[in-house]
Amino acid sequence: MNDIFFLFLNGLTVACIYGLVAVAVSITWSALGLLNLSYGFIFSFAGYGAWLAERHLWGEPIFVLFMGIAAGILGGVIVCLLIFIPVHDKPNFTLRGMIGTIAVSLIGGQVLLQFFGPKAKLLPEFFGYSKIKILDVVITADKIGIIFSSIIMLTLVVKWMKSSRRGLEIRAMMMNPHAAAIVGIGVRKTGLYVMAVTGAMTGLSAVLLSQTYYLSPFSGLTPMIKGVSIALMGGLGSVRGAVIAAIILGFNEALTTKFIGGRYVLMTQFLLIIIVLLIKPRGIAGILDKAREG
Amino acid sequence: MSKILEIKGLSAGYGSLRVIHDLDLIINSGERVGIVGLNGHGKTTLFYAIAGLTHWQRGSIILNGKQIGRTRSQGPGRYTHIVVKEGLSIMPQGDEIFHGLTVEEHLDSGAFTPESWKNRKQKREEILEIFEPLKKLIHTPVGRLSGGERRMVSIGRGMMSEAKMYMADEPTLGLAPKIGKGVLEALLKIDLKNSAMIIAEQNVALLEGRVDRIIGMHAGKLKGEASSSLSMGLKN
Repeated sequence: MNDIFFLFLNGLTVACIYGLVAVAVSITWSALGLLNLSYGFIFSFAGYGAWLAERHLWGEPIFVLFMGIAAGILGGVIVCLLIFIPVHDKPNFTLRGMIGTIAVSLIGGQVLLQFFGPKAKLLPEFFGYSKIKILDVVITADKIGIIFSSIIMLTLVVKWMKSSRRGLEIRAMMMNPHAAAIVGIGVRKTGLYVMAVTGAMTGLSAVLLSQTYYLSPFSGLTPMIKGVSIALMGGLGSVRGAVIAAIILGFNEALTTKFIGGRYVLMTQFLLIIIVLLIKPRGIAGILDKAREG
Repeated sequence: MSKILEIKGLSAGYGSLRVIHDLDLIINSGERVGIVGLNGHGKTTLFYAIAGLTHWQRGSIILNGKQIGRTRSQGPGRYTHIVVKEGLSIMPQGDEIFHGLTVEEHLDSGAFTPESWKNRKQKREEILEIFEPLKKLIHTPVGRLSGGERRMVSIGRGMMSEAKMYMADEPTLGLAPKIGKGVLEALLKIDLKNSAMIIAEQNVALLEGRVDRIIGMHAGKLKGEASSSLSMGLKN
């Protein structure tokens, strides 16, 4: 029983961190038609932003956390200005966008390496070192903090998309870009909002992960690969699908680590994704979506 | 009476295809103009050219005193939102709707100026008075509505803002005659005040006697003009 609870908690923690990146990938894809592969760079960028803030501004953990999110927003805006705005109305945009964002990821990683060197950095524990005991299982504060802060972030983003005007514009663009232009929604401005919001989500996942693991110029690569694969399994473009896929893959990671061994995680993960995509080519969103289209 | 829209020497098209040929058109405020022509003769392209949605265009388009025509379109739709903010409201042909948004959200998405966004509740009420059937469906996703209801939503969306120029593209296309007539009635009910309206239609009979002018469109050019009270006044 205790083992199961412990596994459940581990799975949820992992799901929260990668789920944030996955939802970001998913929203960017459906709103802008851009498969943004530069989240790895935005991830490291946000991590270093938080690290700089801690070193040079103020060491207060909550402040560092918010600076990480702010750096994520900045990273998203940079990618938007460098890649999305110049190429979004050129022919073959999907492919160009993908290549451009990979380029940003690689070049950006090298730039970070140049500035900060290869030595890994560690961010402070944001949620303190306290522990609580439930059902004989010791739960550390960072796990609870990770789960709650991700859920709060996701809820805020979803709520913002549901109730604000910008959110309405983004959702309209996700559904029909041509009709969105007709009602006067500017692609470039909306693109900036999308990239800023998804950058904030990536920034949060970066600081959350970097307090447990180390921060290095290319530490964003694995979260990005996991985020993209979760988004694929959830069905690109569906927030609900991405959240469900993140939970499934989070538990898969926890179970695999426990019973087979940590190095097999990627294997079982991709096996699971392939099986889901074989049965439902549109991913989990294909099961959820009952709305008539066209 | 002031000019709302003044088009001079407009050509537009897609790729190497030229659809609109050197077209001139003046629309005055308070006017309701019908443009009648067969399928594929450029009615929709004319609307898209005004909105900057064609692949390329040249010529002068002055909307409400401002030049919105560009010699080269920077990819379709790049400047459309700016043109729309100048006071253009397009009620597009076919299914240019957002499937997953509810009727309410859909109507809100048409309120593009800050002012109309503030007054959106009141405006929505007005539109629901015109399109009674939508009242019950206000929280239903648009993707689940029937063709006629969708068209009502699409026209209602165009009416949400205080535009200078309304352009309705074949509002009755694909609808049962009775529903089509109802949709057209609603369009004719809009109080234009200082603004103007163009309705594109294939069916002359529907517009006859109910708009101020009817202009024919043939092979990318405007042909002939008739005051709509003259029946069969359409001559090439």
